[in-house]
Amino acid sequence: MIFWTFLFPILLATFFNLAFANLFNADSFSEIKIGIIDNEEFRENTSFVTAIQAVSAEKGNTNENSLFVVTYTSKAEAAKLLAENKVEGYIHFDGGPELVVKQSGLNQTIIKSFLDDYQQLSSTITAIIKENPAALQQGLLANVFERVDYLQETPMGRGQPDAMVIPFYALIAMACLYGGFFGLKEIVALQADLSPEGARVNVAPIHKLRLFTASMFAAITVLLVEILILLAYLIFVLKINFGNQFGFIMLTSIVGTVTGVTFGAFIAAVVKTGEGLKIGIIISLTMTMCFLSGMMYDKIKYIISSRVPLLGYLNPLNLITDSFYALYFYDSYGQYYLNIGLLCAFCIFFSSVVYLVLRRRTYASL
Amino acid sequence: MQVYKALFKVIKKNLPMLMIYVVVFLFFAIFLSNVNTNPLEEDFTETKVNMVFINNDGDSLLAAGLEGYLGQNANFVFIPDESKQLQDALFFKEVEYILKIPKGFTASFLAGSETELTKAAAPGSTSELYLNSLINKYLNTVRIYLSYTANLTIEELLARAEEDLAQKTTVRLEALTGKTETTKSEKCAYYYNYLAYSLIATLTLGVGAVMVVFNNLDLKRRTLCSPVKLRDLNLQLILGNLSYGLAAWLVMILASIIMYGSYMFSGKGLLFLLNSFIFTLAILSLSFLIANVIKSLNAANAVANVIALGSSFISGVFVPQALLGKTVLTIAGFTPTYWYVKTNNLIAELVYQPHDLKPIFGNMLIVIGFAIGILLLTVVITKQKRTSSG
Repeated sequence: MIFWTFLFPILLATFFNLAFANLFNADSFSEIKIGIIDNEEFRENTSFVTAIQAVSAEKGNTNENSLFVVTYTSKAEAAKLLAENKVEGYIHFDGGPELVVKQSGLNQTIIKSFLDDYQQLSSTITAIIKENPAALQQGLLANVFERVDYLQETPMGRGQPDAMVIPFYALIAMACLYGGFFGLKEIVALQADLSPEGARVNVAPIHKLRLFTASMFAAITVLLVEILILLAYLIFVLKINFGNQFGFIMLTSIVGTVTGVTFGAFIAAVVKTGEGLKIGIIISLTMTMCFLSGMMYDKIKYIISSRVPLLGYLNPLNLITDSFYALYFYDSYGQYYLNIGLLCAFCIFFSSVVYLVLRRRTYASL
Repeated sequence: MQVYKALFKVIKKNLPMLMIYVVVFLFFAIFLSNVNTNPLEEDFTETKVNMVFINNDGDSLLAAGLEGYLGQNANFVFIPDESKQLQDALFFKEVEYILKIPKGFTASFLAGSETELTKAAAPGSTSELYLNSLINKYLNTVRIYLSYTANLTIEELLARAEEDLAQKTTVRLEALTGKTETTKSEKCAYYYNYLAYSLIATLTLGVGAVMVVFNNLDLKRRTLCSPVKLRDLNLQLILGNLSYGLAAWLVMILASIIMYGSYMFSGKGLLFLLNSFIFTLAILSLSFLIANVIKSLNAANAVANVIALGSSFISGVFVPQALLGKTVLTIAGFTPTYWYVKTNNLIAELVYQPHDLKPIFGNMLIVIGFAIGILLLTVVITKQKRTSSG
């Protein structure tokens, strides 16, 4: 049990971290490697030479405007560099610039956009001079090259958008629901037909509700300790960003733990056949819910929340994941409170069913 | 053949548990291998970033012009201007850029003041950089016309700017030879990469379940005093495990044959089959090793999950090898999964030249090496166990 609820999530988190380490910054822009064929036509085009120099980074020396790392080379060499994926594309001046690439992609589009830009600016300048010959004296060129930035960044949420945190949030939720094993064990130990402990407990003159509550609290305590260690491992060792709302994160962990334990108790009480099947059901349900919460493929969570939101709300594992996500990214608490509320409703539902199954049961023969 | 039959009785009893992994695999393989592939390229096409365009400035010509220009270079996704939905879309990369044109933008722009549009994107991402430059390019071109030409209406201004912005550079796509079957090969490589995960899980679990039963001390003592020769017993066990491995392999390649049809019997398809078969042997011997060290079915379950998930993650089954760090790959090099995945990727890229086949068969030899090495290790361990505990 400690394996599934504790060691397994920690191992899985470590693997996630190893595998995703490079994905974290896969999106962030880094200079595009390009080749330029260094021929007469290129060198005569002095304004282009200046333009490309302004946006190219020297080796090991980048500035915020740099777009490209340029290799000046011969035609044969450029083709070879492209074939070996050493450059994403090369520029060839042969009666105007031409871009040669191996595949379509965003980086290739950016190179093209830069070349377009150069031609478009020339076109603008020619058109304006034709119409207003005095423009050159009025500082046209300087004005053209001095671009105004019309865009203002407005942060969309509390944290940086980074979908890579979702698998880790789902992982904690998974550990919570695997905590169902503890709930299962407690319920088996309360039923006289399932375990000798149950038989002994049944003859004791104690109210079932009291027994049930006490054993649930025991399971919750153990699981909570595990979840908190797991959380600490994720935050302090793997440096996963959970935001900084410590109190709410704790609340989520506690509610998640209670949900997990009562979930296991619910399965144990409702499914009548052997313990093996009960365990199998807990594992397979949890894994399915993990998948639907984006643990294996984060976009699933989005697809479900935007197309079939009801399925998201009926999945307690997703509610736990979503609570962590809401704390990390949303700037309001509406969604978070809704999630926690629904989780509490699940806990109450699970516990009531368990109690209804357990109460007043008597055994004619054991 | 009692031992052989008993072995399959144990497997049958554990079939539901084993089937979980087969179902999970089929789901992964069919679903993800159809999501994750790039269409075949004939011409250069500009990559279009998904973005949301929100215009709060009424029916302004400038906003409409910008919308038209961006429409040529980006995909508009409609998402209601509601904070939760926009946040979710941006977070999960349904869109990578959100542009809002504030009320009164056109008026103040035409008056020459530097009003700002609001945008949201993953900071520092390539798509952000690209769209920033497109939007600023459009507005700056309009601004230049505005400041250097007189007597132009807004329509004329925008028409001039758009005429300039329609200038395009020619792009040549360097054709690669033998690209025809790439899509199918890529899909197939995904499929066979995912196969690694389930194969490891089903084999370690299945063989583990069997050997836990046969290695049970009481049962072992009983079997040893039966009139079955030890050599026969071991032979049947080995045969049984081999048949189980073979059966698991057959079940898993079946879906690929249904999905990809005759492709599986073309040169590349056969290489995929051969590669996965060799991998099955290596994993069988690994399962045999694990089965001889563990004591209970629960342990088998735990070890199966850790090894299957662990080696899959670091070997590039779920995340492509190209995206993994160097250290991770070095560690992964000590598992047969790494070489298996590497070979699958090589097969997918293969363009049929004799020297391309060399690394493929080289990698297969490495996997066979793993199979033999692990088997020898198992023999040594079981031998020692037998002499120590009797």
